[in-house]
Amino acid sequence: MSNGAHSANLGPLPGMLPKNIARMRRATFFVLVLLGTILGTWLLAVFLTGGGSGGGWRWSQIGLLLVFVPLFYQLNGGFWTALIGVWLQNRPMDDPIDLWGCLTAEDDGAPLTANIAIIIPVYNEDVTRVWEGLRSCYLSLEKTGQLQHFDFFVLSDSDDTNRWIEEEVAWLELCRQLGAFGRIFYRKRRKPINRKSGNVSDFCRRWGKRFRYMIVFDADSLMSGGLMVAMVRIMEKNPGLGILQTFPKQVASETLLGRLMQFAQALYGPAFMAGINYWQGGEANFWGHNAIIRLEPFIEHCALPPLPARVPFGGHILSHDFVEAALMRKAGYAVRLLPATRGSYEEGPPSLIDMLKRDRRWCQGNMQHFWLLFAKGWHPMSRLNFAHGVLSYVSSPLWFLFLVFSTVLAAFPDKTGGQQREQTMLAGQLLLWLTATLIFLPKVVILSDELLTGRLFKPLKLRLLTFISSILDTVIFSLMAPVMMWFHSRFVIKIVLGQGVHWVNQRRKAGGVDWQEVILTFWGVTTLGVVWTVAALCISHQFLLWISPILASLLLAIPLAILLSSTQTGRRLGLFLTPEELEPPTVLSDMEGNLAEVKGRLQLPPEIEKSYGLMQVCLDPYVNGLHVSLLRRRRYTELSREYLDEIARRFIKEGPQALKPREINAIINDTETVTSLHYRLWSSSEHDLAPFWSLAIKQYNIASTNPFTHLLAQKGVQMLEIPMEK
Amino acid sequence: MEALNIQFAPGTGTEEEWNEAYARLADYFRSYRLHNRIRRTQLILATLRKAAEAHAKDPSRKPTDHAIEQARHMLRAWLGKIYRDMQMTDAQIEASGRLGFHLSGGPDRWPNFFLDEQNPPEKMAEAMRVAVRTSGPRLQVSKMTPRDMDLGLTNVAEDTFDRFGKHPYARYSLLLVLVVLVLGYVYKLLK
Repeated sequence: MSNGAHSANLGPLPGMLPKNIARMRRATFFVLVLLGTILGTWLLAVFLTGGGSGGGWRWSQIGLLLVFVPLFYQLNGGFWTALIGVWLQNRPMDDPIDLWGCLTAEDDGAPLTANIAIIIPVYNEDVTRVWEGLRSCYLSLEKTGQLQHFDFFVLSDSDDTNRWIEEEVAWLELCRQLGAFGRIFYRKRRKPINRKSGNVSDFCRRWGKRFRYMIVFDADSLMSGGLMVAMVRIMEKNPGLGILQTFPKQVASETLLGRLMQFAQALYGPAFMAGINYWQGGEANFWGHNAIIRLEPFIEHCALPPLPARVPFGGHILSHDFVEAALMRKAGYAVRLLPATRGSYEEGPPSLIDMLKRDRRWCQGNMQHFWLLFAKGWHPMSRLNFAHGVLSYVSSPLWFLFLVFSTVLAAFPDKTGGQQREQTMLAGQLLLWLTATLIFLPKVVILSDELLTGRLFKPLKLRLLTFISSILDTVIFSLMAPVMMWFHSRFVIKIVLGQGVHWVNQRRKAGGVDWQEVILTFWGVTTLGVVWTVAALCISHQFLLWISPILASLLLAIPLAILLSSTQTGRRLGLFLTPEELEPPTVLSDMEGNLAEVKGRLQLPPEIEKSYGLMQVCLDPYVNGLHVSLLRRRRYTELSREYLDEIARRFIKEGPQALKPREINAIINDTETVTSLHYRLWSSSEHDLAPFWSLAIKQYNIASTNPFTHLLAQKGVQMLEIPMEK
Repeated sequence: MEALNIQFAPGTGTEEEWNEAYARLADYFRSYRLHNRIRRTQLILATLRKAAEAHAKDPSRKPTDHAIEQARHMLRAWLGKIYRDMQMTDAQIEASGRLGFHLSGGPDRWPNFFLDEQNPPEKMAEAMRVAVRTSGPRLQVSKMTPRDMDLGLTNVAEDTFDRFGKHPYARYSLLLVLVVLVLGYVYKLLK
């Protein structure tokens, strides 16, 4: 295949869907979606023109119709995906393409025949969470008896020195606790080129040949050993599979927003997943984590090319996962979803602001895919996946325009009368009902399915609580949607105008409500709501009633954001419960128990806590030794010795707060300077030290009884001695 | 352990300076998690004596400076003996050796032999050698190079976009024109 100009000629490899099944399923799905879209568009056209008997089209009417088509297509897509999903869930016979069907009873306990790397790319993440999560997965794999086939790699791009040192310390301590030297590895990149995808590619280049598969984690991922082993077996039995993506369920949320999202995922997610699996087949998407990848074709075919033009629209590909899935498919390997309701987990953003920050990054990534829409060689479904990704964000400004055009049309109505007026009213009412059906019927159907079958909960009381929770979540998500529309529209416009986003680490846990941040973020949307309400009042009461759900959302944006960040989540009342909350899987409960133990410990003084990693690497002989040992193969020649000495002198005399982060990074990256700093600090007289270091030297031994244990749980941990044989 | 000799009378430096050196050494050895206070006191005294000799030769430097330097010399000599058969540089021995002592459980299992150059137990030495680890498996380098991608229709768009992107005024002017057109249309409707 030269330059990948043609789609690969697919052989009948197991794992790839038979063409007749794939075609039949897609034909069914897209015919239904297109029929629905055409019907809605026709009704709108009738509503706008009163039957089209003359008078012509106004510009605002054409604009309204143009933005309506993609929006209604999207609505139809979601509707039919959910309904097909529910149908599949209730079908008496097994789905012939179900990958679980390839596993047999003999597979249980049979040894694996492949080596697998579990990679966890991290960037300034909560160190305790990452390593305790890793511990849980490690122990879960150990229980399967297949641990010897798995190696773990924590791949760090952290540029916060404290985090970096803490990661090293946690690596050493966990390896020591589990006796996992030679099984858990830590690697820190000095230059984080191309962010996460660059980090993964770097792993593939260095170690990829040693493994047949890699399982990709996010920093907040959690997977059970049983599921991971099953995924490897499925990959082994289906050599046509390139990527197998699981459905990561959101867990461990502490805020109302988080619990709402994890409830919605638990209730509606499986049906949507089954539906997506139905029409995506072997051309599914990769979501960047909680998935297993066949390494050889990934290394061979999935390196990401830079996009034309500059950031934010071009440059390095941000949302690498969709592109890697398309490249894998182009290389002739299937990308499949594995419908599994247990064993694959992740965490979500705790507040609306955190969600918007994440969405802004995703928005830029998805918008970049515009460049790939027309590239040669893609499978048509990959192209469609790109288009859906772009549309998922572009639909927000389209919806906004739709509302603007509607406002203009309401302000300057077309004068029609008699029979035409009746026809128009009927079309309008039908369209309204059709839209409401497309939005709410999937939820009603899924909820009815739950009430009848008890897929989530068997006790009737819990099913009824699920019913109440579902009504509440519909109200809250309806209030959130217009706010999200406004922000997503802004993101799209900013990206088109050339404003990119910075790489920031994600907050994944509740951190309390910051009122100032909420007000500063949402005052604009509230003002828009006030102006629009006044305009609607001036236009007509009927229009005000029609648009009132949107306006209520905009007006209530600030209290809504505060409410969603709250830790009063309705759990005491039994609302928004998920099966994982009632019966946590072992992999989750182990991790949460350990996190609670670490959180319950005495906190250090704030000034020391803030720079604890830095303080440890400079003062502690063991942490200093560890850091220098991990650095030792590097030759840092870019900076002059005089420059590093001068920074080190200021570091000691003025304290870390006087240095810029890049200066601190420079000295901590240099083995000679880090070693000498250790001795220079200890040998300096009081008056030669910055107040920070005077305090640190006095406090350090009191604060830390063991330099390696403060980040990880110790309860019930049996320390393993290092074996004497190498 | 040799008999305890508590005599310490430096010929140079002030009492205040030596007290500061003592306090710093106490903190320094404590950072090695040596919980045996008697052993710590012995080490402090032994180090201070060596520091006093060094200070007599070079009084321009502070006793604290000399004390930590002597502690470092003692450490290097001790680690050098333990790791002499391994192919490591002095800098590697110093860093990894310290870590090796911790990983082998040295502070709890062999606190009395820390910096004891004369009588390191073979079991301790072996445990420290085994404990020296690396952070990753041996590399097995593979090539992962992106293939050229024909972006089709977007090649044309790329050139236009790129040219347009270089002129922010043109970009914002276009946006302004769009806003004016919309406002003009609304004005027309209102007329």
